[in-house]
Amino acid sequence: MAENGEEKLLAVARHIAKTLGHNESMADDILQIFSTFDGRFSREKLSEDHQPGDDGSSGVASLERALNSLDSQISRFIASDQPIWSDPADSAAFLDSIDELVNLTRDWSHASSEKPIGTLLSRADDMMQQAMFRVEEEFRSLMDHGAESFPVNHRFDSEEEEDEEEEEEVDYDDTTQIPVAQPLTDYDLIIDALSSATINDLHEMAKRMLAAGFGKACSHVYSASRREFLEESVSRLGLQKQLSIEDVHKMQWQELEDEIDRWIKAANVALRILFPSERRLCDRVFFGFSSAADLSFMEVCRGSTIQLLNFADAVAIGSRSPERLFKVLDVFETMRDLMPEFESVFSDQFCLVLRNEAVTIWKRLGEAVRGIFMELENLIRRDPAKAAVPGGGLHPITRYVMNYLRAACRSRQTLEQVFEESNGVPSKDSTLLTVQMSWIMELLESNLEVKSKVYKDPALSYVFLMNNGRYIVQKVRDGELGVLLGEDWIRKHNAKVKQYHVSYQRSSWNKMVGLLKVDSAAAGMNGLGKAMKEKLKEFNTQFEEVCKAHSTWVVFDEQMREELRISLAKLLLPPYGNFIGRFQNLGDIGKNADRYIKYGVEDIEARVNELFKGTTTARK
Amino acid sequence: MLLSFRRDQVDSNAASHNNNMEAELDSFQRQVAEKFTDLNASSSGDDLLSLEWIGKLLDSFLCCQEEFRAIVFNHRSQISASSSPTNRLVSDYFERSIKALDVCNAIRDGVEQIRQWQKLSDIVISALDSRRANVGEGQLRRAKKALVDLAIGMLDEKDSTRLAHRNRSFGRAKDGHNRSMGQHLRSLSWSVSRSWSASKQLQALASNLTTPRQNDVGLAVPVYTMTSVLLFVMWVLVAAIPCQDRGLQVSFFVPRQFRWAAPVMSLHDKIVEESKRRDRKNCCGLLKEIGRIEKSSRVMNELIDSIHFPMSEEKESEVKQRVEELVEVHEALKNGLDPFERKVREVFHRIVRSRTESLDSLC
Repeated sequence: MAENGEEKLLAVARHIAKTLGHNESMADDILQIFSTFDGRFSREKLSEDHQPGDDGSSGVASLERALNSLDSQISRFIASDQPIWSDPADSAAFLDSIDELVNLTRDWSHASSEKPIGTLLSRADDMMQQAMFRVEEEFRSLMDHGAESFPVNHRFDSEEEEDEEEEEEVDYDDTTQIPVAQPLTDYDLIIDALSSATINDLHEMAKRMLAAGFGKACSHVYSASRREFLEESVSRLGLQKQLSIEDVHKMQWQELEDEIDRWIKAANVALRILFPSERRLCDRVFFGFSSAADLSFMEVCRGSTIQLLNFADAVAIGSRSPERLFKVLDVFETMRDLMPEFESVFSDQFCLVLRNEAVTIWKRLGEAVRGIFMELENLIRRDPAKAAVPGGGLHPITRYVMNYLRAACRSRQTLEQVFEESNGVPSKDSTLLTVQMSWIMELLESNLEVKSKVYKDPALSYVFLMNNGRYIVQKVRDGELGVLLGEDWIRKHNAKVKQYHVSYQRSSWNKMVGLLKVDSAAAGMNGLGKAMKEKLKEFNTQFEEVCKAHSTWVVFDEQMREELRISLAKLLLPPYGNFIGRFQNLGDIGKNADRYIKYGVEDIEARVNELFKGTTTARK
Repeated sequence: MLLSFRRDQVDSNAASHNNNMEAELDSFQRQVAEKFTDLNASSSGDDLLSLEWIGKLLDSFLCCQEEFRAIVFNHRSQISASSSPTNRLVSDYFERSIKALDVCNAIRDGVEQIRQWQKLSDIVISALDSRRANVGEGQLRRAKKALVDLAIGMLDEKDSTRLAHRNRSFGRAKDGHNRSMGQHLRSLSWSVSRSWSASKQLQALASNLTTPRQNDVGLAVPVYTMTSVLLFVMWVLVAAIPCQDRGLQVSFFVPRQFRWAAPVMSLHDKIVEESKRRDRKNCCGLLKEIGRIEKSSRVMNELIDSIHFPMSEEKESEVKQRVEELVEVHEALKNGLDPFERKVREVFHRIVRSRTESLDSLC
């Protein structure tokens, strides 16, 4: 009885709706209102056709009714000028309608060959297209405006750092966020480029779009929006806008140095903060669709990555002059240190190309460093032989090369790495870097030897070689360069310097000392006096000459100067003293001896001590 | 007696050495000629300036480059004296080759842009590739939108700049068309600045290139040959692929005395002809595949505009046909772009490597 009553009530309600409602959607609205009055007037009960007799048509009709109701809902949303996603209840309802549409389509697709159902399904598809169109639009809008309105504004300006005295800080321009100042070197920073709520909305939209076959469009919109944002962020890092390889090649070195510093900061921020942040965003928006996430991420980051890599490449290609070593090493080290980030951020299939590019360019930087050392070799080889230093002092090329190598070896570990990458063959007990350094030393020494031959006086050649040799050993001895070349090398070169010393002495002084030999067996007493007089005269002349010349020569190293004087004194003074003594005791000379003796032993010593002081200019 | 014997020996060694050098240089000329004759032979109709053909051109370049590298290496003793004219010639070539590097990078950006068009055409295809019986209005709208984006994207750069400026004055368009245009402009320049010009770069590549006389000794002829090949290849790339300020005005001329001059000039003339054709005059790149996509999408666009619902069966079958055509064009692009980009990249790397090696060996 009650059932019948309810049936009648429902029939009346339907009748009213049909009569009053001028079209189907109005009727539907009226039924909707009824359903809010009474639980019995549930939408299903009111919309369903409860005629048990008709199977086929009831099915089609129910599908039709369902579609009609969805159509009216969806159309209402689509027609609205306001963004659907500005109201969470609206967006939820909209998505619900879409989901229902999806379910409906899926449930009925088996029967799509039947004409009425096929037509309805076409209609459903059309509705889906329109709904998706709108979703795509709102997706785009949410992506763009979501970024703008998110209250965190990150600045990684290099200009900011100039104001800081010690630590570099990143300030947050904020309205609602608590300001957090962090040192730029702390890359644990996490950036959320969009609010959680926005990301959630985007994910829900993306889910539907991907399921409805709109995945490509969705990815396209996503990538376009994020790419713009990312490129904006990167450009705020202060890099010059896309330098071509030729631009970098032609740049003034000072300017390029500054740009390299900016690049190092930018590369770190990009690889450690910006790209991982984009990856996180991709993964969240496209959660459950890893292929779409990978593809979108690659699209977003490709341009900025190529821009960064291009600069490093340009530096590698354009730099062979030795002054560039330290900056090129900086770029090399940055790439090396960022390799793990490259590996992890670009770990998916689509980004393999980018990863490989990074490795190639890193290797090329190593090549550039090796090229720089080759240029250094060239520089040494081509240093003109004629440019000899007056006074036999330290040659500028020696100073330049030794200081250069000392400075370079402070980055010994990195250099070892650079040279190991080359295709050289190391020997059993030395690294390739050692081989390179040894070779440069050989070249330098060869060049110096050629220079030494320019001096007319061989003694000066030896002084020159002593000076430069000593300087070389000093610069090698305490430092990384010494570690590389080894104790043996140092020993050998010390011995060389000593050898030059000996040669110097021999070439200038031995003859003189020879004059002081007293051969008592040779002549008779009379002849001896005359011979000794001659010899003394000769000695005085030679001594005078040599002292005059050698006083203007330079020995820059105090210790070596002392050593020279001491050894000369040892060489000269005993035989001289001996000679003079004998001379004075010769009978026929006797009192006149003093006429011939120009120098006392102390005088000799004093003159020797005047040696190698050099003129004021030569000493420089 | 002994002395004169030794002198003779030295002379004959020098003579045979010279002969070897001559043979090497001659073989180089021959190889270049062969390669370009080949290319000329396979440049009929649709093949010229297709991805495949340009790929073959790049392969030929790599071969010539390899031989040139070997020649430079074999002559390094001549070159290392820093004041020798040979040194200057070779250094000059490698300085020029740096300009080519920037062209390669700009071309890579251009390939990426083509890829964006391929993605848009993919969207068109997926919109119209209905498993259902009929194509609905919504699907057509979706396809239409992608087609419009595609058409804007394919505008020649100068036109799109003008369009962008005009649209900007109307404020931000609601449907995001401005954005996609902005994207196209921006995506043109990751590797080179906005003021970089491909045609200026080509001119710089070609500047001060003096033609050696046929019997010039030393490396003048091979350097001239390699430079001409490099210039020609870069010129073709710029002609085919979208890049900033493309212009084919660079005067490219090789005197007939060189064996390879005829095929190279023939190709040059064919390409200039192509650029003057009415339907390709204002295109953004002479690549055959670009022309095909442009045509297919234009036809599709017109077709969609002509459709009124309900769609007649005739229209439906036409749509299906056009989609098939578009699919073909799209597939060709999809399969051809990646290997092509790799080749361009290979050219880049080899030019760098060649330069580094000779700088090393000049020590």
